[in-house]
Amino acid sequence: MLTLVADRRDLAAGARAMAPWLVGIVPFGLVIGLSAAQADIPTLAGWLTGPLILAGSAQIAMIQMLDAGATPVVVVLAALVINLRLIFYSATMARYWRGTPWWWRLVAAYLIIDPSFAVGMDGYGRPVDRRRGHAYYLGGAALMWVAWVGAITVGATLGTGLPAWLHLEFVIPLFLLGEAVTKLGDPALRRAIFAAATVAVLSLAAPLHLGIVLAIVAGIAAGLTVQPRPRPSRQQPGQLAEVAR
Amino acid sequence: MTVWIVVLAAAAGSYLFRLSMIVLADRYTLPPTLERATGFVAPAAFAALAAAGVATACLGLGASQAAAPLAAVAVAVIAVLRTGSGYAAILAGMPTLWIATALLPS
Repeated sequence: MLTLVADRRDLAAGARAMAPWLVGIVPFGLVIGLSAAQADIPTLAGWLTGPLILAGSAQIAMIQMLDAGATPVVVVLAALVINLRLIFYSATMARYWRGTPWWWRLVAAYLIIDPSFAVGMDGYGRPVDRRRGHAYYLGGAALMWVAWVGAITVGATLGTGLPAWLHLEFVIPLFLLGEAVTKLGDPALRRAIFAAATVAVLSLAAPLHLGIVLAIVAGIAAGLTVQPRPRPSRQQPGQLAEVAR
Repeated sequence: MTVWIVVLAAAAGSYLFRLSMIVLADRYTLPPTLERATGFVAPAAFAALAAAGVATACLGLGASQAAAPLAAVAVAVIAVLRTGSGYAAILAGMPTLWIATALLPS
């Protein structure tokens, strides 16, 4: 299906479409690498979340919770709740990948995450044949993967051996805070954010670090109480990249 | 040991999510409410982890130094609101933390 020589132009076009997303992907990867090096876990394990999980928000939550000594089951649960959206991306991509060989579905599915999903949808939305859409998706996703894993590697390498007075353990809470604050303009998200933060602090002493999971559930419930507005326009590059969310 | 198992389990689960509807799309459809709910997950998780992280940092530092992370948070929030960029929280918050930690009695 993907004859690489013929599809080179589409691969390159997909990679070009991914380029603006790198502005979000690279700094986020650096933060995750840095946190993996600083956390009380083997740096290699934190690094491995990059190629294995390939989903920034789940990775950062896991590293943070493992560092805090949360119970393994709760950490996995939190990561999976955060990654639930992948099921919807999977459902959307299924349309375009019907009838493709299994090897393609297995590889392409592995690469699904917010930036590759956005770039892929852009490619499949063009009135060209589907095979070219596959190359476009692959070109974008491959560049994303390299940038993501590369940035995490650099962050993890730089992050070891930095002095304690830098308090780099505070980088992640600040990063998360910053991302949350940028969402406060949306009424439903605002409610979700305040509910989650409140429950997280109140349940700080909850057993097994279940407080975080409780807080996420509270946030979702609070967000759903706000009437949905008409659908906003599609996600644009430059917003926090989610290999990055 | 456990850390590795946690990473592998989360990786396996995430991959199954990615593959799920590609395999099952013909048989199942997803409820729209669930789709809307997933949009709240990441912001809620970020807020929860940030709040818990800040609270834990304050508790760990003790009464005299606890004001340092709080000052960093305050400056970070202002910086993000001013610039609209999430990364401003790190760029403004970390130097504030260093200065406040140096100035406060330990």
